[in-house]
Amino acid sequence: MIFQLAWRNVLRNARRSLITIAAIAIGLAALLFLWGFNDGVHNSMMRNLQQAIIGSVQIHADGYFRHPKLSRDLPDVQRVEDLLIKLGVQQYTRRIRTFALAAGDDNSEGLVLLGVDPVREVRVTNLHTKVSRGRFVSPGDGNTCVLGATTARNLGLTLGDDLVLLAADRFGALAADRFTLVGIVESGEMGIDRGLVVVPLASLDAMLGMQGRMTDIIVQSPPDKLEALTAALKQGLNGQGDAHAYEILRWYDMYPMMKQWVDLENAFYYIFLGVVLLIVAAGVMNTVLMSTLERMHEFGIMLALGCGGWRLAALVGLESVLLGLAGSALGLVVGLSLVGIFHHLGIDLSSQMDSITRFYINPVIHPEIDTDHLLITLASVLLAALLASLVPAWRAARLQPVEAIHHV
Amino acid sequence: MALIEAVDIRKRYRSGEVEAQALNGVSLSVQAGAFTALAGPSGSGKTTLLNIIGTLDRPESGTLTVAGRDVLSLSAAERAAFRLSHIGFVFQAYNLIRVLTARENVAYVQQLQGVSAAERNAVADRLLAEVGLDGMGDRRPDQLSGGQQQRIAVARALATSPDIVLADEPTANLDSHTGESLMQLMQQLNETRGTTFLISSHDPLVLAHARQVVHLRDGLVQEDASA
Repeated sequence: MIFQLAWRNVLRNARRSLITIAAIAIGLAALLFLWGFNDGVHNSMMRNLQQAIIGSVQIHADGYFRHPKLSRDLPDVQRVEDLLIKLGVQQYTRRIRTFALAAGDDNSEGLVLLGVDPVREVRVTNLHTKVSRGRFVSPGDGNTCVLGATTARNLGLTLGDDLVLLAADRFGALAADRFTLVGIVESGEMGIDRGLVVVPLASLDAMLGMQGRMTDIIVQSPPDKLEALTAALKQGLNGQGDAHAYEILRWYDMYPMMKQWVDLENAFYYIFLGVVLLIVAAGVMNTVLMSTLERMHEFGIMLALGCGGWRLAALVGLESVLLGLAGSALGLVVGLSLVGIFHHLGIDLSSQMDSITRFYINPVIHPEIDTDHLLITLASVLLAALLASLVPAWRAARLQPVEAIHHV
Repeated sequence: MALIEAVDIRKRYRSGEVEAQALNGVSLSVQAGAFTALAGPSGSGKTTLLNIIGTLDRPESGTLTVAGRDVLSLSAAERAAFRLSHIGFVFQAYNLIRVLTARENVAYVQQLQGVSAAERNAVADRLLAEVGLDGMGDRRPDQLSGGQQQRIAVARALATSPDIVLADEPTANLDSHTGESLMQLMQQLNETRGTTFLISSHDPLVLAHARQVVHLRDGLVQEDASA
């Protein structure tokens, strides 16, 4: 009956309750939409970063990431790949990575030299989709290469030109070979457009005398499975006697700045969330306090009949929670609908930023909301409604029956 | 032993600089099963005494035993529990909870006791029938007349089978016919159920029905007369 009583009390002044419910709903819907926009930007940034080139997880020989030498190749590539298959991972590829000096007709430049398996690479990263001129390296290619647009311009190269790459081979001796430029990548990312040359894995293997050895295995993983996959890889590769033969690095272990930036932005959003919650709480408290003051006489009667003060406080709290629940339900529907509609339509910011991706941000934002942000926001709104009832509930709990009965 | 034993009860009210002595050493004894009226003009202390006996208020001094309990030594929570088990209230202005139906109003006190919904609704329906409101359980207070609302208040007061029902000016808002009908009902319930009634009123109608009349004046018992 306490639930019935609370609900009917909420409906007692329907207009006031509706205004409060609407205020909660608008606050929650706005928060959800903003989270959706925020998460849409962040998630696409993180996806773009991982899909562009680095993957979600990289597996190297221990110490390779900080000191990338070809002599630190993966101890057992087959073992790593068998484990990945066993773990149900389908998107992974092998690479050889080193540094090279690239010499064009007019100029030379230091680059990251990446040997990729043309068949597997396109299943794991989307670098091939960023080729603006020419094509990506293909199976059966000989000495072909793909350059970033800025590097190609700096070196004065166009499609079909030859590029000489010089790099230390596996034994530290200088190796050099000539590669034909077949594609130019324009991704909008400085680290790709400038400073990267991609060649077929087999060609680089031959040039550097790797004899099938690899330096990197790149894995793509859905965000929600990343931590479990990393833990399983660490356990599977480093957990049995050969401790720390491999390093298993998540994307943010290698490039922490983006995650830190996302965390910082999220922190700002939490501050904003707090401000909105304060407004919501003030609205709910106003309604519940007004409603409490109006019913002092009735509360006095209930106390006289034997209702304890804390039971009365619980009733006031429940009324507040009901307002919060109704507002949250409405806000949830409106907020998620907005996120869904704009996820489908996209929010085109190309006039503000450019028509291509910059800093891994897509020019068209597709809002999406992370489950944890959804739940935290929802729980916070409900908690704010509950906290807002504390003062009125406390007052109700401390009422003296006689004074309350005579309250007009 | 008397159901209510009040000895030398004193109570002052202070309003700003003004202090008023509401009860000036009242002693009162009410036996179980009594049908007693507290009579006296406005300001004589009837309601104050009723509130103190009902554990809604506390005196400055004196001793008070209700149903064998020293109620002045109880904490606020204990007093609430005591009221719930031992005392029923009927107020001048009916004071039903207006968002609840007649049945729910009567059942409310049993809900506070943790009685199951089925049981308390059955008790409420039976009591409503007993006070002449059979079939009106689903009506809200604003759909009922003053007399009907006061009957619901009586049914509510009896729902927990209390030792005593305290009624404060129960006929004050009723016309004489309805008031007479209500008094007959309370008298009948007193006789059939054995519930003690202590009724504060200056309505001659109430005094005519009472078997014991305690006259208060200026916070003192002037006369304690039994019919």
